[in-house]
Amino acid sequence: MRRRDFVRAVLAVGTAPKLLLSQQAANPAPPPPAPVPWLLGLTSKTPIPQVEAADQVAAAELRFFTQQQMATLTRLSDVLMPPMGEKPGAVRAQTPMFLDFLIGDSPDGRKRLYSEGLDWLDAEAKKKFNLEFAKLNDAQADELLKPWLRTWMNDHPPQERHADFINIAHDDIRTATVNSKAWFLAPQVGAEPRTEEELYWSPIEPDVSQVKADCASVPPHVQAEPKAGHPMPSYPR
Amino acid sequence: MLNETYDVLIIGSGHAGGMAAKILTEYGIRCIMLNAGPVADVSHDAEKKPAYELPFRGFRPPGRLDHVFQSNEFNANVWVDEQEVPYTFEEGQPYNWVRVRLFGGRSLFWSRQSFRLSDYEFKAKSRDGFGEDWPISHADLAPYYSRVEGIFRVTGALDGPPQLPNGNFILDDAPWTLALQRFIDVAKPRGIPVCKQRSAQGRDGLASSVNLLLPDAEKTGKLTSIANAVVREITVDKNTALPNGCNFVDRLSHREMSVKARVVVLAAGTLESTRLLLNSNMANSSGLVGHYLMDQVYGPGVLASVPEARRNGNLNAVMGSSSIVPRFRNIDTKSDKFLRGYAFNATAATGAVGARNFTAYGAELQRKLDEYYGSGFHMTIMGEVLGRYENHVRIDKDRKDAWGIPVLHVDTKYTDNEFNMAKDAVETACELAEAAGFEILSKNDKPNPPGYSIHEVGTCRMGNDPKKSVLNKFSQSHDHKNLFVVDGAQFTSAGWQNPTMTILSLSMRASEYLAGEMLRQNI
Repeated sequence: MRRRDFVRAVLAVGTAPKLLLSQQAANPAPPPPAPVPWLLGLTSKTPIPQVEAADQVAAAELRFFTQQQMATLTRLSDVLMPPMGEKPGAVRAQTPMFLDFLIGDSPDGRKRLYSEGLDWLDAEAKKKFNLEFAKLNDAQADELLKPWLRTWMNDHPPQERHADFINIAHDDIRTATVNSKAWFLAPQVGAEPRTEEELYWSPIEPDVSQVKADCASVPPHVQAEPKAGHPMPSYPR
Repeated sequence: MLNETYDVLIIGSGHAGGMAAKILTEYGIRCIMLNAGPVADVSHDAEKKPAYELPFRGFRPPGRLDHVFQSNEFNANVWVDEQEVPYTFEEGQPYNWVRVRLFGGRSLFWSRQSFRLSDYEFKAKSRDGFGEDWPISHADLAPYYSRVEGIFRVTGALDGPPQLPNGNFILDDAPWTLALQRFIDVAKPRGIPVCKQRSAQGRDGLASSVNLLLPDAEKTGKLTSIANAVVREITVDKNTALPNGCNFVDRLSHREMSVKARVVVLAAGTLESTRLLLNSNMANSSGLVGHYLMDQVYGPGVLASVPEARRNGNLNAVMGSSSIVPRFRNIDTKSDKFLRGYAFNATAATGAVGARNFTAYGAELQRKLDEYYGSGFHMTIMGEVLGRYENHVRIDKDRKDAWGIPVLHVDTKYTDNEFNMAKDAVETACELAEAAGFEILSKNDKPNPPGYSIHEVGTCRMGNDPKKSVLNKFSQSHDHKNLFVVDGAQFTSAGWQNPTMTILSLSMRASEYLAGEMLRQNI
């Protein structure tokens, strides 16, 4: 090592203890500018801020359904999943607005299933009772809904027109309600379904450069959709 | 270091790759293993959360993973993203390609069912004239099955008929619960065998390459592993025309790199291994790489309710067993509607019977849910899909993935054999449920789309004749003696049995053969 470097090395070693002492003194010299030492402040002892899911406390505007469709969906949700015992119904669980968000983000097949289904239901109510669906009482709503209820197994919802909408919407309304905070907070009774609580996987080493990748500008691959008026919609299993 | 030549390059870290790594390194062979995705660490990549904290309340995020029916908001980030690594299929013939590129692959999440193939599968053509026989028989693979069952700690009973060979099990001698006994009482006279389930316990709750195979390989000091390595193609030596390594791109940095090895072992999963061979333009003198894609029929089934479990509250005595009903069709009898056969998973469950099983809503539905809780008898099928030349994959030259690698196009569909099998299964299940006095609640006889089973096999089938197969009986390419394909691609027929035990055993056997050949310096 050349003498000049040796001197530098000695000086560095010499000043280090002085810096340490100064940090421990009552009036320490100001720390060097960021980023180095300040980034080390967050540790396992740091308190974690307590936050709420946004849709528990914030309002959202209708993005996909029309006002009329929303009125129909709200009444439908209340009929299919009313409050029971201590458990909130779909309306108090804010299921209709949540579905507006979910369906509004969904592919065309599912969007059509809901918007056409809600329009149809409203038309049926007017035809039979001369009232919009949102104004039907429970007995009248039951008359319209009952003939369309079906049993089905995972991945195979009813495909018959109208039965598809009624049963899938019923399933979605139940899932959205059971998985709401309002449901979770109510006491658990008997065989009432429980809010899902599971291991949630965050993105694992995500590739954020994807936005520049070749694939970003290529249209998505062919989605096989049958040509019928009500193609097999995408739905949760 | 950068220009080192390894003995063996293993592409893929799941069950097939993990077993190859373990066996080869234990023979002192230096291996380099590449995996396309990252290492997953549950302690910092996952956290228990209630659904209401997630943006979509647990529903699968719209537009993502449309073909992974098994996905939801909780697990969405473990599966391969369909936009990042797309694939295409024929209009009207959807294919569900379900992939995991995390280190350890699908071995991190599989369902643990552990069955051996029998000579009804290995020698199927000799029995019914369809397709081709495997170049091996159960006797050839039996010693490997036993060793694998030992490593994976498979539980089961020695109650299998010839079409479900018994194995090296941790014995399950628990008595059947009443509901299952009732089921057996009506199945037996109809010549339908009912056996204890066979399940890999593994260790500490996991039965995966990452906890059962890779640690052994790492202990030898002979394994070098690289994560986030997306292989573009297998490279070929200009002089010998033999495979000699691969080019890959780092998943995150997009840096292009390569490794060299004397031997290449493909274990990237059936369709990824095949995609790599097609993109590398090799091992295909037979013209069959990509053909004979098979999987298993899943989806059809029946859900019934056991009356005693509703009436009395004593669930433990009535419910709680699960059974496997192995294939019983076309064993001693001959069906005129379909070849081969299907199995049932028949389970007397103790949990909730879902709302979809009742035509009711609101308070009336809740009354039903209360009444039927803990009384569900589930029967679902696993059916053999026949291997057909026309069911194939090829490269779609117009589409590329996030790293510019041409994607796969899948052209496959189920035929009458699969549809008739599904109908027969549901009819039979209903007949058994009714005979046992169970109340049928719901049923379905339509198969899920091909690929849903996550048991895709074939496309590089093994055989003795190089004109009719891609690999020989040691999973070795007929064209390049230093190229092996040890995952599900090598299957000659699908069987109804979950392929994992067979993939592990074939990989073990191929790796020991390869080790022998390398030690004798034949490769």
